[in-house]
Amino acid sequence: MTDGPLIVQSDKTILLDVDHVLSTECRRAIAPFAELERSPEHIHTYRLTNLGLWNARAAGHDAEQVIDTLIKYSRYAVPHSLLVDVAETMSRYGRLRLEADPVHGLILVTTDTGVLEEVIRAKKIAPLLGVRIDKETIAVHPSQRGQIKQSLLRLGWPAEDFAGYVDGQAHDIALKEDGWKIRQYQEHAAEGFWHGGSGVVVLPCGAGKTIVGAAAMAHAKATTLILVTNTIAARQWREELLKRTTLNEDEIGEYSGSKKEIRPVTIATYQVMTKKKNGVYAHLDLFDTHDWGLIIYDEVHLLPAPIFRFTADIQSRRRLGLTATLVREDGMEGEVFSLIGPKRFDVPWKEIEAQGYIAPAECIEVRVNLTEAERLSYATAEPEERYRYCATTRTKRNVVEELVAHHAGEQILVIGQYIDQLDDLSETLGVPLIKGDTPQKERERLFAAFRTGEVTCLVVSKVANFSVDLPEATIAIQVSGAFGSRQEEAQRLGRILRPKSDGRGAKFYSVVSRDTIDQDFAQNRQRFLAEQGYSYRIIDADDVFQGKF
Amino acid sequence: MEIRSYADYLRALDDAALISMFTHRPDLVTPVPPDIASLAVRASSAPSLARAVDALNKWQLQVLEVCAILDEPFTEKEVTALTEKSALFILPGLIERGLLYVVKDGMRTPTNLKEVLGNEIAGLGPASMAKLKLKKLDEAPAAAKKVLEAMVWGPPRGTITDIKKPSTGVAWLLEEGFLVPFNQQTVVLPREVAIYLRGNKVHRQLEVSQPAITSSKRDERSVQLAAIANITTFLRWTEEVLNYWAQEPASALRSGGLGVRELKELSLHLGVDEVCAAFIAEVAYVAGLLTIEADDKILPTTQFDIWLMQSASARWQALTSAWLISSRLPGLVGKEGSKNVAPLGPELDRASAASTRRLVLNLLNENRGVAVDAHSLYDAALWLSPSKRSGGLQKDYLLWILRECEWLGITGQGVISQYGIDFLDGADCSAIDSDLPKAVDHILIQSDNTAIAPGPLEHEVAQELALIADVESRGGATVFRFSEGSIRRGLDHGRTGDEIAKFLAKTSKTPMPQPLEYLIADVAKKHGKLRVGNTASFIRCEDPALIAQIIGDKRLEILGLRRIAPEVLISTFDAAEAMHILRSYGYLPAGEDAKGLLLSGPRVQRAQGRARPPRIIGEYEKPDELLIQSALRALRTGEKSSRKQSTMRNIATEALGALPRTTANETLELLSDYLQNQPNKSLSIGYADNNGLVSHRIIDPLKLSAGSLLARDHATGEVQTFRIARITGVAAL
Repeated sequence: MTDGPLIVQSDKTILLDVDHVLSTECRRAIAPFAELERSPEHIHTYRLTNLGLWNARAAGHDAEQVIDTLIKYSRYAVPHSLLVDVAETMSRYGRLRLEADPVHGLILVTTDTGVLEEVIRAKKIAPLLGVRIDKETIAVHPSQRGQIKQSLLRLGWPAEDFAGYVDGQAHDIALKEDGWKIRQYQEHAAEGFWHGGSGVVVLPCGAGKTIVGAAAMAHAKATTLILVTNTIAARQWREELLKRTTLNEDEIGEYSGSKKEIRPVTIATYQVMTKKKNGVYAHLDLFDTHDWGLIIYDEVHLLPAPIFRFTADIQSRRRLGLTATLVREDGMEGEVFSLIGPKRFDVPWKEIEAQGYIAPAECIEVRVNLTEAERLSYATAEPEERYRYCATTRTKRNVVEELVAHHAGEQILVIGQYIDQLDDLSETLGVPLIKGDTPQKERERLFAAFRTGEVTCLVVSKVANFSVDLPEATIAIQVSGAFGSRQEEAQRLGRILRPKSDGRGAKFYSVVSRDTIDQDFAQNRQRFLAEQGYSYRIIDADDVFQGKF
Repeated sequence: MEIRSYADYLRALDDAALISMFTHRPDLVTPVPPDIASLAVRASSAPSLARAVDALNKWQLQVLEVCAILDEPFTEKEVTALTEKSALFILPGLIERGLLYVVKDGMRTPTNLKEVLGNEIAGLGPASMAKLKLKKLDEAPAAAKKVLEAMVWGPPRGTITDIKKPSTGVAWLLEEGFLVPFNQQTVVLPREVAIYLRGNKVHRQLEVSQPAITSSKRDERSVQLAAIANITTFLRWTEEVLNYWAQEPASALRSGGLGVRELKELSLHLGVDEVCAAFIAEVAYVAGLLTIEADDKILPTTQFDIWLMQSASARWQALTSAWLISSRLPGLVGKEGSKNVAPLGPELDRASAASTRRLVLNLLNENRGVAVDAHSLYDAALWLSPSKRSGGLQKDYLLWILRECEWLGITGQGVISQYGIDFLDGADCSAIDSDLPKAVDHILIQSDNTAIAPGPLEHEVAQELALIADVESRGGATVFRFSEGSIRRGLDHGRTGDEIAKFLAKTSKTPMPQPLEYLIADVAKKHGKLRVGNTASFIRCEDPALIAQIIGDKRLEILGLRRIAPEVLISTFDAAEAMHILRSYGYLPAGEDAKGLLLSGPRVQRAQGRARPPRIIGEYEKPDELLIQSALRALRTGEKSSRKQSTMRNIATEALGALPRTTANETLELLSDYLQNQPNKSLSIGYADNNGLVSHRIIDPLKLSAGSLLARDHATGEVQTFRIARITGVAAL
């Protein structure tokens, strides 16, 4: 019996013992074909999926390599049926190829006529196909490239795409490394993306995804469309790009509600892209009318449905998705992978933390006891009002006050879902509030003041969930959230993960009402971070008041 | 001694020869025949010969076939002439088996052997009656040659349109005697002709040696590793299936066996495909670990508990040895393109299953260290067991057996493992115990509320964990997940929160994460806060003193009262009775309905059933004419028959005695007379039933026809046919 770090389970999950001496080596060996599912403290869980195995094939790994790796590192004998399955799955890849053809535009070619016969008879595929050229070849409508790839994937006969990408209009972009250096993982991520053609890069919040985007642009050296969540994020991207690349002010345009600039590098918001005018998406042709060499989707986990559909039509352009948390409560992760591209890079949060690129964070759940009166009104509240009620109880306010007082002098964010609660907190604490109807100018002013330390505490609504860069924030206090959303929790933690100038750790408090639905939601919200190895500590509100924490 | 018969030959054999024959054909001595004559009968009987022939390989069979088509007695030379020299090495073996025997001037075959080998041995027809000039065949006309070509390798029969108008080729052949007419449309090619045309051979190809098995080399260590993984997995599967059914017993179909849906559930639970799930269940079934109860429940037996206590090697051997000798073929389940066959059902038995399994295992055992190609293995198996009886060797069966060997761990990566070799040789398999991964006694708890056992868990720990956590992934390791539901299950089974926490702290190598501690405490705190029970009635009173008085009242003990709150008692009696008893002891209870409303006054009761008012006696409504008429008619008819019946019954015996006995002809005459002259007259007849018992009937004759009389019987009022011959006598009433 070998004593490797891997245990291969019969349900195709792979357990990696991170305390094993070979674990780092092993992680690198299995990364190309296994998908990281959970990475808590001791044992990380990977999963072998068809998609993962096919991506490995696409990246030039063959079944024998995969099997050898599994056997080499496995602690126990690997189930034979699983090995057979791996070999069979991988052999399905590449029997169909999409190729560019000078006469027919795009063609589907096969090495196995049986497979071609099978797929052209499939209901979902037939309408996407053109004329049959010969026994092994059939024409495909070029606009259906994304569609057909997606449908073939579902049928279990993934097509290898040799049709290539359009280069787009060339534009010289390079990284400008003066006084800073691109981190190794950022470089790996950008390279992983570039070699794969298109795909998604998953990095923790605060780990510098913008730089990965910039590095990808430097690879492409072509005009780029960047899609971001909101105007604030657009401005941050702009500043980052100015700082990190050779681009100058005139080369970067903003395409948002207020401005409609189109420049070699254009940053557009999802909001403007999905705005409807007379029932049609007026701005979606921004994708098509310009010869972009690269399209970057920031916070790809938030990708709205119309953009999904449109993305299917632009498969000949390189696409890069960036996210920290590719979990969607709507289960659309699969769509992201098939339309933007597979996951090209993923790394456990704790590993980046260990490298010192994100601040170590402590997660604390503060449980408050409802008063007797509150308990009673909670019990009698309408079911749809219950969460709101227990999430916004007055008892929480006292705890927040105490916590803010305890951390006086540090940069504190108080984050919540319900505006009345936030108004109330802002008033009680005497600190400014940023919410949906706060004017853009005011928001920018307040964020700037917070960055400089002029303001030390801010109350923010969900507008600050994403893409707001507040490097010196060290304390976040969450008072309520969007029910059980896992990615919101992670994104909020992300606000305080930027490494601090003095190397301090961050603290993330989540104030939860005991024995209510709030507690159940909190448990679900914490799952993503728990799977990333963040261990929550639970304390009692009384401990807060007594300063015992 | 001159040998004239098979019995004579057997008598002349020495002990060694007989022993060797018995070794080859054990059926000859079970039971032991009384004398050599009986032995000879048995040894030359078709079933015994068929068994002996089944055990021959292809080359032996070919030589035997050649012997069978030669005129007896035949010599070695004649045999080699039709085969080749090496056939000489085969003959002694055939003689040893008693399939040939030696007489003075050559060898003979026992009677029945030819039948056992079939009608047209090696596709050859019967010998020709006439002497043939075979040389002439070389000059046969082209049309004739074509006919011969079609028939030479058998079957030796050919169909033509009409023997009287043969085509030119056939005509020539018939003329020369090279074809023999068999019937109107069939001609037969005589044996000599076919042999001549085959170039003085019988078989197209002599298959002297076993076809080579193609195979590829495998690393011995990885084979062993794969095999031990298979063994571990199979044992785990078996345990899993039986534990699953112990909790949720599956029901067998009425026609026997496991239904499609149950099989699907099982396969989902195990995470294997349905064919594999069926195999696991089948092996447990043949090993006696599960049984189908009288009420069609499929349940583990007590044997399962014994099995669980055994070492891994013993458990594995119990399963494999049951599988080895079983005549059931689980592979039939889910065979493509065939009807659905239920596992554990009656349709899985195949006579050749065990022998095929043996054959495959022997071949695997001969090819150690290499992964054999299934198709070449089949060819080799076919050579070893060429017999076509009962469908011959099926390729499907062989492929299934190979698949099952892998599941069982007899093979690893398609190569027979040392465990498999030991098992087949009947040697000690305890190497399995030492090669199995060591059981671990600890788990690693992580902050995402999962626990991982990084190896096979010790039985007790595994059972305890299964109670308080859900299994998320199985294999070499096990991943458990704690949730509110799983902790609750543990509490339902009588564990306390503290016990669970202590157990986890003891078993886990890593410190228990705080959220899990809280989870356990939270669930434990809430568990059992609500209590639910059955009761028949309650007694409540806002005055606790009165409640105390009632509970202290000895006379009320029969009510079985229990105080569940200061102001509430419950009783096992229903409300009405409880109230009655309370009243009789001087209490003043009032009833409450389901909504808590006070029921004032005695309850006004209503019947549950439908109204069924009694008949009313009194004046009748005057019926109309039509009703009266029909009533009258009915009355008349009834009267007629009943009066006659009662009076007739009384005089029946008498009348019967008084009836003159007439012959059939006389009866016929009398009846036709009555019918003609007094058509409406009722007659009295005696009629014999099937047993010859004569009864008396009153009838109105209607019609005479072919030996029978159609008449209305007064006793039944029905029109009936009476056989004339059975009528004993007739008289007018």
